[in-house]
Amino acid sequence: MAARSRLASSSFFAVTLLIAASLSVGTQAQSIRVGSPAPDFTATDSQGRTQSLNQYRAKYVVLEWHNQGCPYTRKHYVSGNMQNLQKEWTAKGVVWFTVISSAPGAQGYVTPPQENAYLAQMHAAPTAVLLDSDGKVGRLYNAKTTPQMFVIDPQGKVIYAGAIDDKPTPDTDDIRGADNYVTDALTAAMAGKPIATSYTRSYGCSIKYRD
Amino acid sequence: MVFLLLAGKLALAATSSADAAHLHVQLVVPASALTSGGSADAGLYFKLEPGWHVYWKNAGDSGEPPRMKWTLPDGISAGPLQFPVPKRLPLGPLMDFGYEDEVLFPFQLKVAPSAKSSPAVLHAKVDWLVCREVCIPGKAELEATRPVTNQASKAATVEPDATLYARLGNRLPQSPPSAFKAGFEPTATGFRLTLITSQKETQASFFPADQNVLDNPAPQKLTPKAKGLTLDLKKDANLTTNPGQLRGVLELSNGRAYEIAAPAGAPAAAVDTEPGETAATNTAGPANSAPSPSTNRQASTPGLVRIVGLAFLGGLILNLMPCVFPVLFLKGLALMQSGAEERHRLRTHGLVYTAGILVSFWVLVAVLLGLRSAGGRLGWGFQFQSPVFLSLMAGLLFFLALSLAGQFEIGLSLTSAGGSLAAKQGYTGSFFTGVLAVIVATPCTAPFMGVAIGYALAQPGAVTFAVFTALALGLAAPYAALTLQPAWTRILPKPGAWMELLRQVISVPIFATVIWLAWVLANAYGAAVLAALLVGFLLIAIAGWFLGRWPAQRWSTIIAALILVGFIGLSTWAPKNLAAAAPSSSARSGEWEPWSAETVSRYQSQGRPVFVDFTASWCLSCQVNERVALTTPEVRKAFADANVALLRADWTQHDEAIAQTLASLGRNGVPVYALYVPGEASPRLLPEVLTPGIVTDALNKLPRGATQPTVASSNLQ
Repeated sequence: MAARSRLASSSFFAVTLLIAASLSVGTQAQSIRVGSPAPDFTATDSQGRTQSLNQYRAKYVVLEWHNQGCPYTRKHYVSGNMQNLQKEWTAKGVVWFTVISSAPGAQGYVTPPQENAYLAQMHAAPTAVLLDSDGKVGRLYNAKTTPQMFVIDPQGKVIYAGAIDDKPTPDTDDIRGADNYVTDALTAAMAGKPIATSYTRSYGCSIKYRD
Repeated sequence: MVFLLLAGKLALAATSSADAAHLHVQLVVPASALTSGGSADAGLYFKLEPGWHVYWKNAGDSGEPPRMKWTLPDGISAGPLQFPVPKRLPLGPLMDFGYEDEVLFPFQLKVAPSAKSSPAVLHAKVDWLVCREVCIPGKAELEATRPVTNQASKAATVEPDATLYARLGNRLPQSPPSAFKAGFEPTATGFRLTLITSQKETQASFFPADQNVLDNPAPQKLTPKAKGLTLDLKKDANLTTNPGQLRGVLELSNGRAYEIAAPAGAPAAAVDTEPGETAATNTAGPANSAPSPSTNRQASTPGLVRIVGLAFLGGLILNLMPCVFPVLFLKGLALMQSGAEERHRLRTHGLVYTAGILVSFWVLVAVLLGLRSAGGRLGWGFQFQSPVFLSLMAGLLFFLALSLAGQFEIGLSLTSAGGSLAAKQGYTGSFFTGVLAVIVATPCTAPFMGVAIGYALAQPGAVTFAVFTALALGLAAPYAALTLQPAWTRILPKPGAWMELLRQVISVPIFATVIWLAWVLANAYGAAVLAALLVGFLLIAIAGWFLGRWPAQRWSTIIAALILVGFIGLSTWAPKNLAAAAPSSSARSGEWEPWSAETVSRYQSQGRPVFVDFTASWCLSCQVNERVALTTPEVRKAFADANVALLRADWTQHDEAIAQTLASLGRNGVPVYALYVPGEASPRLLPEVLTPGIVTDALNKLPRGATQPTVASSNLQ
């Protein structure tokens, strides 16, 4: 009885502490720190399946934020660059998620049939396209632009976050000479080498989140 | 064939402006001719459709700035685009930096003495990104032609270029004057940027030049200082090494904006200098001089240990304040009743009481920090600015006092439900007594607490928590000590019939506290609100009567609870609807003028000393100080003899200007007594506990010539 009341007081205590601590941290979204564990998420893909990050422990995972109307995304799709990356790395066992966080009615938002048609038309080959129209996954990763890339290692750690390459332009001409950070990160990590550039400012259009 | 040639030529001839999606872009060269061996101002002008924007050199979280690629004749070169001061462009969770409506990016054209070709064709390829909800990259080829001459003929200009440049070409950030000093220091979450401008700054916004250094959407907390400001900036979560310099544009008030490169480390001079060391009084010496004799001005950064120690001491002293003492007595009473119980039970009571105080402080601090991060400037005692809170507190204490006086027993109906509930009541009672102690302590800003709180609220969250934890422990210490040290319980008198008498006697200071709260309420909100509160007290007394007449009966408890709910409703409704306009407390005494920053400046420019009394009707120590030290005949004479202008800043109801001024003085609660001395940039602060002697001493220390020609030497105290 006394023990129970003590437990009640202390759990109230603990809960209040937790609330107080979380309030003290601030009111903004948490940023993803390279080197820290990638937050787990669950989302529905364009085939209606439920996908979650933890399903793919022990695999490399690439997250690609996507908006088919954005000129910077189109640069990589019209040129076939993104599709080539997807084919090359999924063949090596990497799980590739294309994530669409556009709100309904905003640029980039698609229904599942529309997305599947786009994939077929563009010959894109991601493992799955996650339809994140309420922006949960986007905000979880503090994703800002399309395209924006995250690479997660088999231990669940974020090893790269940022731009797809080092040429922040919408010109397809700039793909050939560019240094592709995703390729660099995956190549280095798979060879057991340290990653030269693990964090860059991503370029592209802002993600059209739901308010 | 000729036709084709002509068509080709027409297609190749670009103009100096172009219309593109959502914007009009124009090459702006005001000079009608370029002088060889000289230079010319020029610019790239964008006129944007409403809502569309282009970007700053660091676009922020998304976007890209415009770029130019030149094809120029020999001898002519173009400098890089210069970027005017940008605007913040928030986009959901992102923050970009850029321009809306229209913008001109200036650049320089340099003409070598050897430049020949006349006319010179200046050809540029411009590309940009323009966005609103969507982004549209654009490009244009622009061309301007100007003759190159040998004579300087600055007068002749070309329209509309000249007008555009005159209107928009001067929006670049300036180089900071040499008197400005900047520096930054790392903090737990990022950086604290300090800028010394030799005047208090109340507005600032920092735009970083380098990407991936700062978290762009994070709010920037500004702390105005006597001679400048500090700005707390959140760093990018992935920043691994701190930069050697923080570069960017710092925008201040009145359209001033400076391109700064703040080095790591505190700037050379102090940003809140000691009184007596201003640029005006220093001739050849460096900016720093010996600290002034005034001990009340907060030093730049007192050691954390010292501050935590002071906070603990402040908490201890709080126990003596009339706000807290009755509660301590209450618990002391309960302790005496249980003097025969097991030692560990007592200890647990003490710990639970301490826990109640700690948790209340932490919740309060967490809320304060949350509100602080939302940009509010709130200080200790703020909850007493809410009339609803005042009414509820008064009602609660009245209810408690009635029980102590013997009208009814609290908890009787609950203990009758079972022994386990009695035990629960005990621990929960201890916990919430701790909470009560905190709530009531808040407006009594004890002397030592002023500095600790002023310091802590400007620090990162972790430090604030440490300081407030020390405060809470100091507050809880006396009672906790009694329970933790079993030997001391023997010092306490044995339970007996006198306890009932003591209990009734204790109700008296609690009733007194209720009267004080009622007086504060009446003062601030008028007699109608007081009448409503008194009606509320009647309701409470009736509820108490039910509880006393029919104790431990469920139905009577329910009726009492319903009546109390009615009281709560009345307390919430009455202040909003019955409040009279707050009479300014300066109406009480003709000698004291209402405070405003302009009034202070006016008197200062007349060369008069100014004394400002920052006070509030709910601040007990303020009222005591005013009666004891500020309005006695000798002190009033001393003020008159020294020709001091007397101003009263009434903070009874939350006032933003006063809150900001308090913050700039390193305080966030009242009382604060500031003596502005002619010739000194920052005021001298008097202690929070005043005596007539302290005031007259301070007036005696005024420099000669600051007062009227006849300086009365006071032989007082």
